[in-house]
Amino acid sequence: MTDDGIPALTMEAVGVRYPGGTLALDGVTLHLAAGEFTAVVGPSGCGKSTLLRLAAGLLAPTTGTVARASERLGFVFQDPTLLPWRSVRRNVELAGELTGVPAGERRERAEDALRRVGLSHVAEALPGTLSGGMRMRVSLARTLTGRPDLMLFDEPFGSVDEITRGRLGDDLQELFAADAFAGLLVTHSVAEAVYLSQRVLVMADRPGRLVGEVAVPLPYPRLPEVRFSPAFTELTSQVTALLQGGAADRIEVAA
Amino acid sequence: MTRQSRLARQSRRLVPPTAVAAIVLAAWYFGSYVLIDADRRFLLPAPHEVVKVGFLDPVNLAELLAGLRLSAEVAVTGLICAAVLGLALAILMSQARWVERSLYPYAVALQTVPILALVPLFGFWFGFGFPSRVLTCVLIALFPIVANSLFGLRSVDPALHDLFTLHRAGRLTRLVKLQLPAALPAILTGLRISAGAAVIGAVVGDFFFQQGEPGLGQLIYVYPRRLQSEMLFAAVFLASAFGVAVFWLFGVLARRATAWHSSQQRRPDTGGAAH
Repeated sequence: MTDDGIPALTMEAVGVRYPGGTLALDGVTLHLAAGEFTAVVGPSGCGKSTLLRLAAGLLAPTTGTVARASERLGFVFQDPTLLPWRSVRRNVELAGELTGVPAGERRERAEDALRRVGLSHVAEALPGTLSGGMRMRVSLARTLTGRPDLMLFDEPFGSVDEITRGRLGDDLQELFAADAFAGLLVTHSVAEAVYLSQRVLVMADRPGRLVGEVAVPLPYPRLPEVRFSPAFTELTSQVTALLQGGAADRIEVAA
Repeated sequence: MTRQSRLARQSRRLVPPTAVAAIVLAAWYFGSYVLIDADRRFLLPAPHEVVKVGFLDPVNLAELLAGLRLSAEVAVTGLICAAVLGLALAILMSQARWVERSLYPYAVALQTVPILALVPLFGFWFGFGFPSRVLTCVLIALFPIVANSLFGLRSVDPALHDLFTLHRAGRLTRLVKLQLPAALPAILTGLRISAGAAVIGAVVGDFFFQQGEPGLGQLIYVYPRRLQSEMLFAAVFLASAFGVAVFWLFGVLARRATAWHSSQQRRPDTGGAAH
């Protein structure tokens, strides 16, 4: 919750029915407190991305309501979504350019964001000359320039290799620790969801709905070694059990 | 890359077409001197005779170059008009489906109508001068630009559209900062095809007009009737070279303007950073 108690994101009994009649989401209620990092896991096609598009305002719900406390919103897509004809720096400046941030300030924010993701040395390169992981960092940097209160991540590391994925996860943790934005991460990796978030929501499909949640009380910063701890294994087992439909609706686990 | 390997790469690229040219020239000489009797050699004059009569005789060369100049003016003016009009139509169609539904069938119809058959009509309406010839060129060159530009404008990654929507970008901002740059490779491909079509339109249109100042088309029409076969071959060669030059020019332009595009890129070293 924010200081005045307003959640960063509120979804109340949200449903989405596509024009063909398919019920993509049904009765989803979700409260995301300010500064809270929540992950959503679920099988392919269960409506995770639809949930995120609703949160971003890219899609209107058929039923229910969606409210955000702030309009300072960051969205990290599955792919880096960079403009290939623009240099890395000008891609990072794009968010400010579209929202009318003055040129000088735009540049300062872009340089700062690139420094934070460790890409100042390739600021003038074209995205096509970078590796997949670097492109995803450029995308993160672009989102950071908007100084978001709410960050939405749509399987952002799905297209990179396992090692890069781990590094990007650590980068994300650092950014979260420094900026304290509210984060909603959609992923199909249970381990990634538990490693990064304070709470994992589990979705089922046909129609897409939330079927349970697991609180993750592991303290930050989380080092890669935490993945091998008994508590981590226990948490991932519980999320997996929920995914397979074999557990109670709500399970709390002590650290 | 070492000098030797660069030389080897260039020779690998140049040797095959040079060999083909040599074979064609040899076949030409064979046809001219072996297959055809001396008194019928006007049907296929030897290559050096074409060069001597067409390009080394100052009077003949001046006539050919004047024809080339007129055809080039028609083709370039027609291409510029087609590019501006075609891109404007594609932008309009990309902004609203009802505009596309209203106009696109006519753009397709334009492609199927034998434009050259309309040449006499243009002559009736607008005379046989420069404007009618340019109009012929525009109508022939228009469709590739419209079709390719529209395809490019419509093919922008939906996630990029989402990105612009998230930042509340207006229609004009979206067009200028996203759709047009993203469509540039497709637009330039259309322009390249249209450039070739414009040259054909200028030369063949002129052939059909048969009136007014002679371009390459009229010269190609007149020379065989005067049995000036060397001049005919020289004019055909000049028209072909003009078409190839325009096509090549737009190819270079497209490569330079879209160096960022994946089709043009070789990945350079980024300092060993791989994550």
